[in-house]
Order: sequence, then structure tokens, then C-alpha cells
Amino acid sequence: MTLGKILAVHSYKGGTGKTLLSINLAATFAEHGKKVCLFDLDFRAPSLATLLKVEKAEHWLNDYLNGACEIDKVIIDLSDRVHNGGKLFVALANPATEAIRDMSAKDRKWEMRALGRLLALRTSVLSDKAFDYLIFDTSPGLQYSSINAIVSADLVLVATTFDRSDVDGTRRMLRELYDLFEKKTEVVLNKVLDVSSRASKDDMQTKLKDIYQVPLLGVVPCFCDVLKAEGGIIFAQEKPGHPFTKILDEMANKIDAMA
Amino acid sequence: MSTQEALGKKPLLVLEKIKENLERLNEKMEIMIELQKHGRKDIQLPFADAPLDVMTLLSLPDHLRKTAMTLCRMGRATADEIAQQTKRARAVESAYLNQLVIMGYLKKERKGRKAYFFVDRENQG
Repeated sequence: MTLGKILAVHSYKGGTGKTLLSINLAATFAEHGKKVCLFDLDFRAPSLATLLKVEKAEHWLNDYLNGACEIDKVIIDLSDRVHNGGKLFVALANPATEAIRDMSAKDRKWEMRALGRLLALRTSVLSDKAFDYLIFDTSPGLQYSSINAIVSADLVLVATTFDRSDVDGTRRMLRELYDLFEKKTEVVLNKVLDVSSRASKDDMQTKLKDIYQVPLLGVVPCFCDVLKAEGGIIFAQEKPGHPFTKILDEMANKIDAMA
Repeated sequence: MSTQEALGKKPLLVLEKIKENLERLNEKMEIMIELQKHGRKDIQLPFADAPLDVMTLLSLPDHLRKTAMTLCRMGRATADEIAQQTKRARAVESAYLNQLVIMGYLKKERKGRKAYFFVDRENQG
């Protein structure tokens, strides 16, 4: 039996597609028959509750990190939406303004305890409940909650675009943050225009490896369909034939194949 | 007979005691050697109960961060167990762990002959 993995999805800048990637990757793994739990660790701008259309939660991840409840109370089962017998669960961040304010005012000792609770999920959820993947969707940049997630993860996926400020910032972040924690990291290049010609694709891969010095997990073209859906559709679940879903299938298979 | 037994055991007990003291002395020597090697500049004495949060982890020198990160993941461990993970010598890890204890980031607890190190997350603040 192989052990489950914890993935953290992070980026230097906002709007690079972390959440879209997290949701669809989680849905893809579930469609492949895996048992997955998606965690919303973006406490500054929680969005999974809306995107996954979960009306209300009894308990939030905020409560778990505050030590106010066990993780079992937070995890919601969405497996009825999965087609192939896979299991999809979610743990949500509280989107209430007061909760966001509360989370942004935590001190270092709280953050240290929060790290302890995130690390504890490896035993209490990943091993004890036999999950294949826990996916942490994080806030962009160097924030406590994001770095806690990175430290707790086995593999970090960094979503990036070709925007110059993003490229520069991502490169610095990889060198000055990820390298220090010796994290296994892969880059996902998102929102790429004119990906069509084969020559330019190979060229792009080499160029990216030169820039970031870490492996490239996948290249996601800019799909108008995805934008047009306005976050109302989870492509990996509802559009199995779409090229976007196919790219996610490939990425999920690549992650599966990693030791 | 009983006096003879007691007399026979006594040297053993004394030897045990000496061995234990030597081990502790050894640990202290390791710390002193470590302090000499790296100078005192990366050690700010003494913080009782300094939180070992991620920003602190980032600010630690590389050799100590590796040890601290490993203990963070394991929760509670001996120098030997840490050394198995980091693939560095036990004596090296012991020195680094004790250095982190001096800095206030870790706690140390003796159980018989073994010394366990841990991050005291719940009893701080």
C-alpha cells in the first residue's frame, strides 16, 4: 500500500489560478477513484464554500486551527458529486468578514500552534482515514498560513503566469523560501496564450526550467470557456472531454507516478 | 550474604552513575564545541519559551533549520531518531538540538537514559 500525500497549491501573486487548480485537481483525483480532501487555507479570501456551492458548514477550518473542535467536525463529504466511486471531501475557511479579521490578527504563538495542528492532519486524516491526497489551497505570497501549509506538505505546486512581476517574484520565492525548507516543488504555468505550436512549447519548457530551476508539472492554456463559466462549473467533474480537464488528468497522473 | 550482595552491587551502581554523568558532560561539551565553532552570533541568550513558528524557522541558520524542521515533523524525538532522518551524525544532531533548547525553541525531557526533544506548542502563551 502506498502512503497518501499532502499537496499545497501556492503562488507569489494573487489571481494565478490556485483555487481553480486546487478544486479541479481534487475533482480529477476523485474522478480517478481516489479519496481526496480539499482544504481552504486562504483565510484572507475564502472561496471554496461559494465555488463548491456548500450552503453552510457547522464548523470551519478556523475552529480546528483555534483548537475549538476536532477536524472530523469540519470535513464535509461531497462524494455524491463524484461519478467513478472516488471520494471527495472539503474543509472550508469561514468567509464571514469577522472571521477574516480574526484570522489576520493572530500572533506568532498562535501560528506555531496552527502549524502543529496542520502537521497533525498527516496522522489524524491522511493515515487514519486512509486518504490518498490532502490538497491545501493557500493565500498568495509570504503569509503565515501559506508557509505553514508549505511546511506541512510533501509536494508544493506553484501556480505562475508569464506576467513579469509574477515570474520575478516566483523565482525569488522559490530560492528564498522553498529552498530553505527543502521542499519538493513543481511549477504549473497557467493562462498561457498561443500554446499551439509544438516548437514553441518545447522552447517554453526549457526556458521555464532555466528560470525556476524546478520541474514543470504542466502548462495550462488560457481557456475562454473556463472564464465564461464564471466559477459555476467544475470542469473536471462536469466536462470530462474538455481540453482543460485532459490537462488536469495528465497532471494528476504525473503526481500519482511520483515516489 | 545480603551484605555481600549489597557490596557486590554497589560498584555497579557507582559505575552506572559515573556513566550517566559522563553522558551529560558529553552533551555539555558538544554544546560548547558547537558554540565555539559557530561563534555566539547566531545565538541570542536566553529566551525561555520562544515560539518556533515558520518565520523563526526561516530565520535560523541552515544547519539548525534542518534539525528544527525534522523535529517539527516528528513531534518528539531523540537525537538518534533525528540523525536517522537528516543523515547526519548523532553527536552533531545532539549538539544542534541542545543549542535549540538553549535558544528556547525546544524542550528536553529525560526518560531513563534517553533524552527526548520536543516543541512545546500547547503550553506556550
